[in-house]
Amino acid sequence: MTELKVILAGLGGQGVVFFTRLLSQTAMELGHSVMVSETHGMSQRGGSVISHLKIGGSEAPLVRRGTADILLAMEPDEAVRNLPFLRPGGTIFVNSENGLRPEVAEHLERLEIQVHSLPASQMAMELGVAAIANVILTGFAVAYPALPLPIETLRETVKAIAPRGRELNLQALEIGFQAGRSTNDE
Amino acid sequence: MTDTNTRQEMVLGNEAIALGLVEQGCRVATAYPGTPSSEILAGVVKYKKQLARQVYTEWSVNEKVAFEVALAASWAGLRAAVALKQVGLNVASDPLFSAAYIGVKGGFVIIPADDPGPHSSQTEQDSRLMALTAKVPVFDPATPAEARAMIENAFILSERYEVPVILRPTTRLCHAVQSLPMEVTPAPDGEIPSVKFNKNPTRWAATPKFRYKLHVELNKKLADIEAEFNQSPLNYVVEPIQNPKPVLSGAQRAQVEGSKIQNQVGVIASGVAFNTAKQSLLELDAQIPILKIGTPYPLPQKLVGEFIARFETVVVLEEPDTCIELQLPERSRIRGRLDGTVPTAGELSPEVVSTLLAEVLTGAGYKVNPSLDDVELQTLVNSLPLPIRKPRLCPGCSHRSAFYSLKKEFGLSAIYPGDIGCYTLGSNLRAVDTVVDMGAAVTMANGFYQANRLVGDSRPIVSTIGDSTFLHSGIVPLINAVHTGARFVLIILDNHTTAMTGHQPTPANNYLADGSEATRVASIPNMVRACGVNFVKQTDPYNQETFQEILRDAYNHSQAEDGGVAVIIADRPCVLYDPSSVRDDPLPVVITEECDGCRYCVEAFECPALVLRPDKTRVDIDYKICVNCGQCIDACHKGFIIPEAIANEIPQTVASEATL
Ligand code: SF4
Ligand code: SF4
Repeated sequence: MTELKVILAGLGGQGVVFFTRLLSQTAMELGHSVMVSETHGMSQRGGSVISHLKIGGSEAPLVRRGTADILLAMEPDEAVRNLPFLRPGGTIFVNSENGLRPEVAEHLERLEIQVHSLPASQMAMELGVAAIANVILTGFAVAYPALPLPIETLRETVKAIAPRGRELNLQALEIGFQAGRSTNDE
Repeated sequence: MTDTNTRQEMVLGNEAIALGLVEQGCRVATAYPGTPSSEILAGVVKYKKQLARQVYTEWSVNEKVAFEVALAASWAGLRAAVALKQVGLNVASDPLFSAAYIGVKGGFVIIPADDPGPHSSQTEQDSRLMALTAKVPVFDPATPAEARAMIENAFILSERYEVPVILRPTTRLCHAVQSLPMEVTPAPDGEIPSVKFNKNPTRWAATPKFRYKLHVELNKKLADIEAEFNQSPLNYVVEPIQNPKPVLSGAQRAQVEGSKIQNQVGVIASGVAFNTAKQSLLELDAQIPILKIGTPYPLPQKLVGEFIARFETVVVLEEPDTCIELQLPERSRIRGRLDGTVPTAGELSPEVVSTLLAEVLTGAGYKVNPSLDDVELQTLVNSLPLPIRKPRLCPGCSHRSAFYSLKKEFGLSAIYPGDIGCYTLGSNLRAVDTVVDMGAAVTMANGFYQANRLVGDSRPIVSTIGDSTFLHSGIVPLINAVHTGARFVLIILDNHTTAMTGHQPTPANNYLADGSEATRVASIPNMVRACGVNFVKQTDPYNQETFQEILRDAYNHSQAEDGGVAVIIADRPCVLYDPSSVRDDPLPVVITEECDGCRYCVEAFECPALVLRPDKTRVDIDYKICVNCGQCIDACHKGFIIPEAIANEIPQTVASEATL
């Protein structure tokens, strides 16, 4: 894999930090050098939270606007806010019931940016744990070739670092992955 | 990388620093929490346990205390470190300046985390400038890996020259997470060195006359250190090769000079800006040499001078202010903050760096790649009505209840001095009017009282301060206020922890930094009484009615003839720190169908779980984040927020559903 740059966005309390750890730990287990930038402090009290993740590349902590390969967003407006990070041809995975606001459609087309959305929060509520939407979205994203992290390694990471409810986390990962597989195959 | 003796681990920058400290035999580590530095001491606790090392770890009551506790350990001959945020170094600046003159014995590393941006600080001050003024050498790491490695250099230098040294990380390093090699079987803990404090009053308690001598000695040490830094592998040139790996140490410099590479533009960079510059030059496809400075003070003048001599123009990139640039004796070729090339405030983001480098390079006749920004898209995104996500107090936070009662009792015209912590967010609720620094809630109230008395302003003055902040810097101001006869109400928001920075213990907790038991616990009410306060009441802000009555009594006391400062201790644990208090006694609520979306509760109470529908027709409760505290019942003055139990009794009132 050449350098892969990922932006992860959401609101404080949506588990963006855990979500980032899942992906970065998995990439590290695969033998890549990994650099991440996290948000701490005040913003974790409900503000916009963003992580930058670089797999196999620069040691600069931040991704430059216009260069990210992937944007993973826990919330559609945070996805839109961070759209300018994506490079032309980049990919968005978003936790949303109906994609992104229509105003950006024209630009997404012009820049050939793919949007894959999944109602992860709703699916998490069905599992009875709202906080697990981030794991569902992770499973969803790795079902696509744009985010080439094998699901098997990700499962191992979940087992290793999920704070509690390992089974539930694995189940969430699986649900997301299956959802990704089915939309991916269409 | 897949060396058999090592495995990789993802390590937070602050933890990488901690790992370096524990690996290098640091025996005493102290800190006061503050973003972005808070995880350093927590990391020391983690690694001392993991690697079975003997390290004394302490969350001190404030930074000055932390500094001096560690300093004494160093004077006894042990390796010691103190971690704090940049404004914390202000609090510890008194011992910093003195310690530079007197010097140290065991290696002593001061770790102030700077916050370019700023992301979570009052200022963007540069601790390297503080170091320059105090005459303390500085190490400026660029990555977590380098920070970990530099701890060794820092201890060695500190011991060789008997000076305190600063290792200065910035937010982006503190909160970077990098894959680092970890030993599978760590080296066993060495013996605790057999050292002891050697009495020598001429040095350790030097008089002004001897201080002069110490100053002369310090200047000599700094000159020697500068000479050493000229040769240090921490300062090196990265020549522009497609794969910018090989680096040239001071010793290999001559060779490069011999090859007479002629360039128009060079870059000098330190800290996180170094890798940002490297990345930007790659993206611009510009082949530009970079001099990486790992030791910005004292600046290795010879090395830097030779580098500058190679170019017409040299761009200096450092954060958050000018330290390298200020030390340059001659700046005619220098483009930096002083000539306005580099913005004089804010973070050196990749966008800022690439834009300014592109400008300088284009001006010097280089051809660089066009900007990667899509202006059209950015303009559109900026124009969209995206919700502004202000940080807010958590659902169920007892501070909100306290602030709400305050406002109800004293109205919006009262003067509300505030302080530093989660409760600074009381400004959203319009119950925090001033924020200066730690402890200023008390001093500002004191000053406002005296000023208002002179100008005949009779508005009530009601201050709020957290438990940790009160212990840090509130006690001495309270003594002052009592003594000078000030009249105001002080509310100590006691949530039993240092919440904002991740729940570190205070002296009022019964445990220490590493979880061991504290033998004595400081009682806040007793301390307040001992300061001379006659009105001291402790109460749970969740009982809003009682709380408001006590507020009234407190205010009356502050105005009574024989009254003075009145103190209320709003006593309830942070809901994140100890959710049991709410979980054991829940009061679930619903919003009735009559809700008309007037949004009063959303603005006046500001619980994140109270959500106005996008079509503004009504407010719903987001049960995904609601903690069932029931504190919002009073926030609807029309009575549409009611306990669930009551709603169930009234069949015609259909409870609203969670709709998010
Ligand atoms: S962390 Fe605790 S003190 Fe801070 S806002 Fe949340 S509930 Fe309140
Ligand atoms: S009960 Fe009310 S105040 Fe408490 S968390 Fe829920 S919505 Fe917020």
